[in-house]
Amino acid sequence: MLRASLKSLFSRKLRLTLAIVAIVLGVSFLSGAFVLTDSLGARFERLFTSINQDVDVQVALSEDGQDEDPQPKLTQAQIDAMAALPGARAVSGDVSAIGVIPFDREDGKPATTSGAPQIGGGVKGDDPFALVQLADGRWPSTDDEVVITRYTADQTHSATGDRLKIFLPEVNEAREFTITGTAVYDGDRESLAGETLILFEEGFAQRTFYGQEGLFSGASLAARDGVTQEQLREQVAPIVPNGFEAKTGEQANEDAANDVQEGLSALTTYFFGPFAIVALLVGIFLIFNTFNILVAQRASELALFRAMGASWGQVTGSVLIEAVLVGVVGSTLGLLAGIGLGLAGSAALTSLIGAQLPGAGITVGATPVILAYVVGILVTVVSAFVPAIRASAVPPLAAMREVNRPDKPLRVLTIVGLVFAVPGIALLILGLVGSTLAPLLFGSLLAFLGVMILSPLLTRPLAGLIGRVVGWGMSGRLGVRNALRNPRRTAVTAAALMIGVTLVSAASVLGESFTRTIDQTINATVGAEVIVQTNTTGGPPGEVGFPDRATDQVRQLPGVEEIVPLYISIGARVDDAAPPFGGTFATDDLAVARDMFAMKAVEGDLRTLRPGEFVTDQNTFESRGWAVGQSVPIELDQGGEQQYRLVGVYESTPIWTDTLILPKQAVADFAGPLALQGYVSLDDGADTDAVVADIERVMADYPLVTVGDRSALLDQFDSFIDIALGIIYVLLGVAILIALLGILNTLLLSIFERTRELGLLRAVGLNRRGVMRMVGTESVVMAVFGCLLGIIVGVGLGAALAAALIDRDFLTVVAIPWVSLIVFVVITVIAGVLAALWPAWRAARLNVLEAIAYE
Amino acid sequence: MTTTTTDIAARAVDAWKVYGSGEAQVIALRGVNVELEKGRFTAIMGPSGSGKSTLMHCLAGLDSLTRGQAFIGETQITGLSDSGLTRLRRDRVGFIFQQFNLLPTLTAEENILLPLSIAGRKPDPDWYKTVIETVGLGDRLGHRPSQLSGGQQQRVACARALVARPEVIFADEPTGNLDSRSGAEVLGFLRNSVRDFGQTIVMVTHDPNAASYADRVIFLADGAVVDEMAEPTAEGVLDKLKGLDVTSGGV
Repeated sequence: MLRASLKSLFSRKLRLTLAIVAIVLGVSFLSGAFVLTDSLGARFERLFTSINQDVDVQVALSEDGQDEDPQPKLTQAQIDAMAALPGARAVSGDVSAIGVIPFDREDGKPATTSGAPQIGGGVKGDDPFALVQLADGRWPSTDDEVVITRYTADQTHSATGDRLKIFLPEVNEAREFTITGTAVYDGDRESLAGETLILFEEGFAQRTFYGQEGLFSGASLAARDGVTQEQLREQVAPIVPNGFEAKTGEQANEDAANDVQEGLSALTTYFFGPFAIVALLVGIFLIFNTFNILVAQRASELALFRAMGASWGQVTGSVLIEAVLVGVVGSTLGLLAGIGLGLAGSAALTSLIGAQLPGAGITVGATPVILAYVVGILVTVVSAFVPAIRASAVPPLAAMREVNRPDKPLRVLTIVGLVFAVPGIALLILGLVGSTLAPLLFGSLLAFLGVMILSPLLTRPLAGLIGRVVGWGMSGRLGVRNALRNPRRTAVTAAALMIGVTLVSAASVLGESFTRTIDQTINATVGAEVIVQTNTTGGPPGEVGFPDRATDQVRQLPGVEEIVPLYISIGARVDDAAPPFGGTFATDDLAVARDMFAMKAVEGDLRTLRPGEFVTDQNTFESRGWAVGQSVPIELDQGGEQQYRLVGVYESTPIWTDTLILPKQAVADFAGPLALQGYVSLDDGADTDAVVADIERVMADYPLVTVGDRSALLDQFDSFIDIALGIIYVLLGVAILIALLGILNTLLLSIFERTRELGLLRAVGLNRRGVMRMVGTESVVMAVFGCLLGIIVGVGLGAALAAALIDRDFLTVVAIPWVSLIVFVVITVIAGVLAALWPAWRAARLNVLEAIAYE
Repeated sequence: MTTTTTDIAARAVDAWKVYGSGEAQVIALRGVNVELEKGRFTAIMGPSGSGKSTLMHCLAGLDSLTRGQAFIGETQITGLSDSGLTRLRRDRVGFIFQQFNLLPTLTAEENILLPLSIAGRKPDPDWYKTVIETVGLGDRLGHRPSQLSGGQQQRVACARALVARPEVIFADEPTGNLDSRSGAEVLGFLRNSVRDFGQTIVMVTHDPNAASYADRVIFLADGAVVDEMAEPTAEGVLDKLKGLDVTSGGV
């Protein structure tokens, strides 16, 4: 039996190729994610190893120490004690800070990196570990001298002897320095991972970053010959002060690489996960359909097996063996493609951060390999299960003559579909009325499944309607009839497309609703004409932004009426629970903010807050069950838990929902003292452009800060939504690609089945173009059918979800993105035509005589 | 009966058809010369492998000759492009096959009108009515092929071939799959359409009884015309065939 099914498999390998493609795509995304994570992880490990070369023991902040405020430092005496240890050959104290940003000498703009840190350090002559070496010039010896790495020099278009403007964190100002030399990393490398590095005189760096000289954030030790890393660590451990810990160099590298890998893993999972899921989900339909049609075509062959005495189990088994083989082939190819994807991803990421990360080849762990095969084979076998059972139901008699097996009635399907759809829709409504999210989401899922199961039933009415529009002429009408003749096949083929379109339609509705909401809300409630914002890729809010000094300068500018600076805490814990989703803010004068943002008091008072007071929005107020006057424990980024008294509640709006606002004094406990955003209102008649230019001049020294008018703020919100939608559109692309293959597959198999009909049509005078149009029409009807189902369900679900979000004040309107929806249909039509190209060509080239021969 | 060229519906001139080459070469037609008159019912007979179907396919523009010429009326079809042949089949030729004559997705009526629909023409209503009445399918026009019996399906096929009034209808074993009663119905119907409406029909068959409905029988053996018979009877045809089998068996 195995040999027989193998033979028949290879004779039909072309047909199965398309089923394999679906598996390949799904598995490649899955394994690609792992390969990319592992490979990048290996490269980062290389990076840390090269940073810590010759470092045998590292003394760094422990987890407890990181949480302390201010973070503990090592003193010069402690460093000296370490140097005096018998096993220590050399000790180097670390003085460094991130967010040290140089300005480009050519255009005067800050020279930022794409994600890599911008580091400032302190040096006192040559580094004993020789990680950074002078390429030319000399080390800095006064407060206004620096050495920069060659990469930094390239980025800022500067050279030894030039004056360079540099933004210093902590003191939050830009100053000019003289470059006394340029440096490279060990091995003549310009940068390790696309970072910028500026080295100051050690004492100046300590004063600037830590507030006083003689302090270090950590230390690196090298062991004498014959002393192991562990032996040195044991010597150091007793003299390591509280808040610090000593690790061996190997341990430190491993820990650092693991931290990075965890972050990468989350990134790749969120990025590739949806693609793998969509590809496999859509793939299930494709494989199911392929096997179904193959079984139908092989009916006489299977019947012959049965007639010759094969049990139904053997027949089922033979189909499942085919499925396993398809799964194995698909998984293998998918794994290879995944490795390629991982390579490409790694290369793309490297070029994104400046091609500076050390190469480490490609890492393929056991997980992606096992996962690829398990998922690939499982998906294929599960998809082929129903067709396999169906194969065993072929009566032996079918071998002898054509047994007419009429399409099964759709009654069972209808009942099952309604079992899903009716409670699904009921739950949806329940969720909408009760504005609870759980039944809404669950109901959406059920309704989606229900519609999918009912889709064969909808084929005749809906696809028939589409057929009226696209079925021109006799060949068009014939194509429409062909699309309608097997509702199950058409529906399953279209369902693959439906999944993708449902997803994007729902996302588009939400995206459009958000865009419109933000538009309306900002225009209606933000009284600011100029908005100052900070790019937070350079660091956390508080550590990046602009200082109060700048706020005061802006306030003094002619034409400026008021400025509301917003400080944001991201690490807050409120009432021993997660912080409000919308953000924990502080501002200097709530009364001014209230007017600027048209905030309406619901309870209590929205006046200037005194220390220890706070206000919140109505949603948070109600959901947390607070009362005005009540004290709430709030733990900010530092400084431990403190009691704050609720003095007022404002109306929730999409930009002020799930938020709380603290007084200016609370900023002391935020991650840093800088304001992240500034909202500026202007005097009547002030020239916006002129004021923007003035504010830009004030903010010029703060590298990550941008100034724009109100439309810039809208653009920023829109760009978030656009990025999210962009990813979803790519997802649609993947789904469409696989669905396209599904249509192609169905068409090829159908054409094979209808060889005689095609011959007859050609004999009675249908020309090749007519045949191609017939096939094309069938394809377009199937594609548009899937697309419309997807749009109907997707828009329905998206609107339901949006309506639920209106209840929670995240949205004010439900907007249907008509243009996008029309674009989807147009894309689908094009996809349908593309999918039909090859099958249509084959149908048209069919030899008329062979098609009608029957002897 | 004397024939002039204007009375010829289809003809083959020194028609050769060779399949394959070298060892595997099969010669299906060896220089066949045949003229099929207008307004007559001609049967082409011969044992299996005699080339009768090949001759019909080449005359009907479904297959091309290796050498020689084939004509429909005055049009030489050898050398026509695929689209030229398609148009010829659509506008000037009708077909009745042994089986798979009808598209399962179309009703009987739509099947009958298929060649006209493809050509974008409307049927002559009187003629259409006549055809429908003649084949006796009035109450079954809305049915799909799967709801019709084999005989009814072949009658629909006949109606389809007739309704476009082609210059010539080629029928390839039209009764091969039918029981004798349905077969007789279809044959009688074909003969009547020749007698009553002057339709030209060329039928390939190996059934002497079916051939007896024709006005003229052409006998083929080993790719060549070996004999012919006018006003045939079943017995006469059978005797001829026996003789042919003996001759070809003896070669």
